[in-house]
Amino acid sequence: MMRRDVSRRSILLGVPAVLGLAACSGNSAGSTELSSEPVTLRFTWWGSDARHQRTQQVIKLFEAKHKNITVKGEFKEWNGYWDSLATSAAAQDAPDVIQMDELYLASYAERGALLDLTTVKAHLDTSGIDGDVLATGKVEDKQYAVPTGLAAYSMVANTDLLDRFGIDLPDDDTWTWDDLKEIGGKVSAAGGGQVTGVQSWGFDMGGLNIWTRQSGGKLFADNGDVAVKPAVLVDYWNYLVDLAQQRVAPAPAVTVERATASLDQSGTATNTSAFGTWWNTQLTSLAAASGQKLKLLKLPGEADAKQRGVYDKPSMYWSIFSRSKHPGEAALLVDFLANNRDAANVMGTDRGVPVNKEIRELIQPKLEPADQAAVEYLNTIKVSKPPRVTPNGASDIEKILQRHTEQVLFGQVRPEQAAQSFISELQSEIDAAA
Amino acid sequence: MTVVRARTPTKRKPSKKNKDNLAAFLFLAPWLLGLVLVTLGPMVASFVLSFTDYNLLQPPEWAGFDNFVRMLGDERLHNSLRVTVVYVVVSVPLQLGLALLLAVVLDRGVRGMAFYRSVFYLPSLLGSSVAIAILWKQVFGTDGLVNHFLGLFGIPGRGWISEPETALSSLIVLNVWTFGAPMVIFLAGLRQIPAMYYEAAAVDGAGPLRRFRSVTLPLLTPIIFFNLVLQIIHAFQAFTQAFVVSNGTGGPSDSTLFVTVYVYQRAFANFDMGYASAIAWLLLVIVAGFTALNFVAARYWVFYDD
Repeated sequence: MMRRDVSRRSILLGVPAVLGLAACSGNSAGSTELSSEPVTLRFTWWGSDARHQRTQQVIKLFEAKHKNITVKGEFKEWNGYWDSLATSAAAQDAPDVIQMDELYLASYAERGALLDLTTVKAHLDTSGIDGDVLATGKVEDKQYAVPTGLAAYSMVANTDLLDRFGIDLPDDDTWTWDDLKEIGGKVSAAGGGQVTGVQSWGFDMGGLNIWTRQSGGKLFADNGDVAVKPAVLVDYWNYLVDLAQQRVAPAPAVTVERATASLDQSGTATNTSAFGTWWNTQLTSLAAASGQKLKLLKLPGEADAKQRGVYDKPSMYWSIFSRSKHPGEAALLVDFLANNRDAANVMGTDRGVPVNKEIRELIQPKLEPADQAAVEYLNTIKVSKPPRVTPNGASDIEKILQRHTEQVLFGQVRPEQAAQSFISELQSEIDAAA
Repeated sequence: MTVVRARTPTKRKPSKKNKDNLAAFLFLAPWLLGLVLVTLGPMVASFVLSFTDYNLLQPPEWAGFDNFVRMLGDERLHNSLRVTVVYVVVSVPLQLGLALLLAVVLDRGVRGMAFYRSVFYLPSLLGSSVAIAILWKQVFGTDGLVNHFLGLFGIPGRGWISEPETALSSLIVLNVWTFGAPMVIFLAGLRQIPAMYYEAAAVDGAGPLRRFRSVTLPLLTPIIFFNLVLQIIHAFQAFTQAFVVSNGTGGPSDSTLFVTVYVYQRAFANFDMGYASAIAWLLLVIVAGFTALNFVAARYWVFYDD
């Protein structure tokens, strides 16, 4: 039996890739039974330095508990992560346990790259997770992912910088986007070119979602088509152009540079921008990099919005590669990450405020100040119903958005043209994947 | 085997030939294996895939000529072809010109020539590496070396690689900077030119410029041709620099979107391997076309001494 397997594999390796394609359709996933032999799992995630350190600690705890399992961590920053995951998934060689994002969940799940987690429920307990939240990991009614935690969009303000320039914190219960522009302008004026008021955005899905929702619309219709109105995009880009032209935000060249840089190189992390939009749980990593006092503020424009922009987003998910050789052990690791108390104590809120209520109550008193603030923010904001999961084919939305924002910021196209082009390009990617 | 054959004199001749062939194939084996498995196999695969709709994770589906028809209306593809051709047409002549200039200077017998040769060759070794691309990003960044240097003279800097007007130029400078490989080939070519031609020209009263134009250049044309063909193909295939400098986006606003980068994006970011394969074949046809054009043109300007 064993022999035949080996020889079949070596034959597959030997024939040209075109024939090897035929093998792609076959399912070579391993057994869900736990092995008593030594097992090596590969585990991949994206994130900042702070997350890498915490996750390595959790891996050590897991290995101490399961002596026969070795976990190899493969961590990258956001941009490189998805290129690398696509390549390794295509080569049938993706890591066993994959940190997944809402943007890509449907694209991977609908193409059969993720394991249906009900097949490993013997090793993976999801009973502690609220049903509605757990359902956000479903695609086409199958549970492909377990949410790690919740996050909400926020404005991070550097209060040390504001104090230095003698500028008061705005009242974040009532402030508008115009207020942000005004106070940001004051900071830029006092900052003398070294510090800008606002770190401009225009490259991330969260920001666009908020803007669209506040206008009363949504980015994607329930059937997965693009639903954002051109006029909303025009407003969005006009605001960003205003920020850049009135020097509230850095020059477009700097904005573009930062768009593709890591969190640690951002204006907030390097204390060169007083305000920046972030997910509330990124505060921990930002505070570690910045070293200054950072405060989470509610988003501008919520008070007079047609619909609340802010929502609880499953910050990320755990999922298992459908062709993992060790799905049982991989499920054990996911279970450990989702439910283990020691692991939770180490991770804090770095991957979102834990969705497991028991875990959330357990860690809350022991949290460091930045984590405490993140939990408190989530508890105090008023949210509305979250948007649907990003449809299959639209995973590239942030890159399409970035390109159009660049064209607008550099004055190559008018916001009206960009809006039409953005919508039609995004829709054609969705159509192509269907 | 060999012992047995050696003892049968009647078959010595053909067996010797067979033996030589066998030895030749044995020595070629590593290269042949590489060619078949690493180059030909994937090429055949990508050719087949270019007629399919293939999302990497599920089996490919036959799509006929759909992918090729789609190219006609794909504006990003058209833009990427324009960007690539500009890059090739501007950077290759500049690079070869600089290489030739330095080769001629070094050929004069400068003291410590071996040292200079190595120094000038160094960028070629590093040029297409990830490390240099990252360095380039720092040097030409808004807070980079170039802007600090310009600042010394009160010249306002800019985002050389984060602004669409200058991003491609920064990559062209990077390619020109890696002139070492053609330079070394030029140096070897210069050594081949017999000294007597120069002596004869000098006797006839030709100055250094005239000697360069009437002796060096014509005799060097085969080498120039060789470098031109090689560097054009090389430049068409440029990928690492643009990919790393723009973080895989080909940005800002597609200004550095080489065809190779676009192929990569379609294949691995959009899960669109069939279309990506089709574009890769389009690129192959374009490169082949440029090379054929080069060979045709060569009849009119390349001079063979013998």
